[in-house]
Amino acid sequence: MATIEYQGRTLELNEEGFLANPDEWTEEIAVVLAKDQENLDALTPDHWAVIRFIRSYYEDKKLAPMVRAICKTTNLPLRQIYELFPSGPAKGACKLAGLPKPDGCV
Amino acid sequence: MANATPPRDPYEDKLDNLTDADIAVILAELRRRLKAPEIAAAHTCIRCGLCADACHYYLTNGELEDVPAHKLNLVLAVIKHHFTPGGRLAGGWVGARKLDRAMVREWVDALFGRCSGCGRCTMNCTSGINIHGLIRAARGALAAAGLVPPELQSTVMMAVERGNNMGIPRDEWLETLAWIEEELRTETGDPEARIPVDAKGARLLYTVNPREPKFFPLSLLAAAKMFYAAGESWTFSSDHYDVTNYGLYSGDDAHAGLMSDRLVKAKEDLGAEVLVLGECGHGFGSTRWEAPQWLNKRFPFPVKSVLEVAADYLRQGRIRLDPSKNRKPVTLHDPCNLVRLGGVVEEQRLLLTSAVEDFREMTPNRQKNYCCGGGGGQLAMTRFAKRRLSAGRLKADQIRATGAKIVVAPCHNCIDQLIELNKEYKLGTEVKTVIEVVADAIVLPPRPA
Repeated sequence: MATIEYQGRTLELNEEGFLANPDEWTEEIAVVLAKDQENLDALTPDHWAVIRFIRSYYEDKKLAPMVRAICKTTNLPLRQIYELFPSGPAKGACKLAGLPKPDGCV
Repeated sequence: MANATPPRDPYEDKLDNLTDADIAVILAELRRRLKAPEIAAAHTCIRCGLCADACHYYLTNGELEDVPAHKLNLVLAVIKHHFTPGGRLAGGWVGARKLDRAMVREWVDALFGRCSGCGRCTMNCTSGINIHGLIRAARGALAAAGLVPPELQSTVMMAVERGNNMGIPRDEWLETLAWIEEELRTETGDPEARIPVDAKGARLLYTVNPREPKFFPLSLLAAAKMFYAAGESWTFSSDHYDVTNYGLYSGDDAHAGLMSDRLVKAKEDLGAEVLVLGECGHGFGSTRWEAPQWLNKRFPFPVKSVLEVAADYLRQGRIRLDPSKNRKPVTLHDPCNLVRLGGVVEEQRLLLTSAVEDFREMTPNRQKNYCCGGGGGQLAMTRFAKRRLSAGRLKADQIRATGAKIVVAPCHNCIDQLIELNKEYKLGTEVKTVIEVVADAIVLPPRPA
């Protein structure tokens, strides 16, 4: 099982780089995941708007939000979501927000 | 905050604690599903090895356990031991093996963990053995005992319990369609352009992969634009629009049949003439070819891939395409369940050669194409993800050799794997559906003033 190091702690990732234990997530861990999993050296305010919305939606409903809800809440156009997160909303944005991998063809 | 050690995988516990009753359930289901050709297959594999070179797992990982004949033999050895007189009497002499806990583990590792059900071994089998069909039957036997890897099973159950495999609530599906309808109006410049929902008597009922509304709705916009340009009478269903069928992957015929039956019922309720399956390889294979067996009935109406519908538009002059709208070199991936196992082969080529300037075939292609590695439930089964990505190397090499900048695949499952291969193998390509590329090339008819 892969791991990432963060402040002297070792966090386990599943075979696809999602946090093995989604409850361990913090914003600092999102930064580490961004670099380690998505080759994103810096997270812009737009990245954060998406990540924070996905996280709060997940904590409420235990599901990833629709990309419609992401665009509506952040006011970002759809195509920009794919530019911000090259692996897409699921394997990019949801992964950085510490969600488990969604069911379905992702 | 929880501690850093996740709990032990309950699936592993289950495999460690199998009872004789569990084994009996597996065997009973296996026996129920075997027909004469499968039992005959137990005696006809001549170990020629052609299937080894047909399999993307063996060609990339090179382990004995990846050879299709080896996977097949795990099933055949059990059939011999439990269901043939020779196996009962002469056991090891005829290669028979008892199904015990260790063998169940080998089954899970080989049949779920090293097979994407792509059928390339079957096509190359000297003896004509339906290798991938036998592997699916054995998966179904494991499913009867609740032994489908949980990440795959949860996708099946999400669809069964909530009507689609991503658990999208009805109001969020409808809200996404309303949003895409706005986009369609912007794109066409027509304030009357519509995405019909539950339109009674529409000619086509269109179905999609829930991944589209959930995360990638540009493909919904593309299909709506094409139907608009063709002047088609079509509709979505507000309840049953999920073209996927993970029961094909888990081997569970009862749930698989239930999912296909929902689409059939939605078509009947709305009075549509044709059930149109969106760009989904296994969804096409499931509802076009397998569902009549699962449901034990013939469908008295056409079930078509959206590619067949689109190719008809082109042949009939209902849509006009301008290839100069797509100048970058494009290659095409052939999804196994749609092409090798599904028979939809030339429609996507007709569409792409009309929609792009520089179309390049991969080698091999059509029925001989290699699996992308994402089929057979592999994308769902996180525990086998490393193998899935390494088995995809063959596809990455094929893509790179074409020099294409856009990879097109008429399957959202393949597309997700292709996006990962793009990242893993640094291919530098975009990944699109066929209809997205077609929609980009559509010349909209002039609107009356």
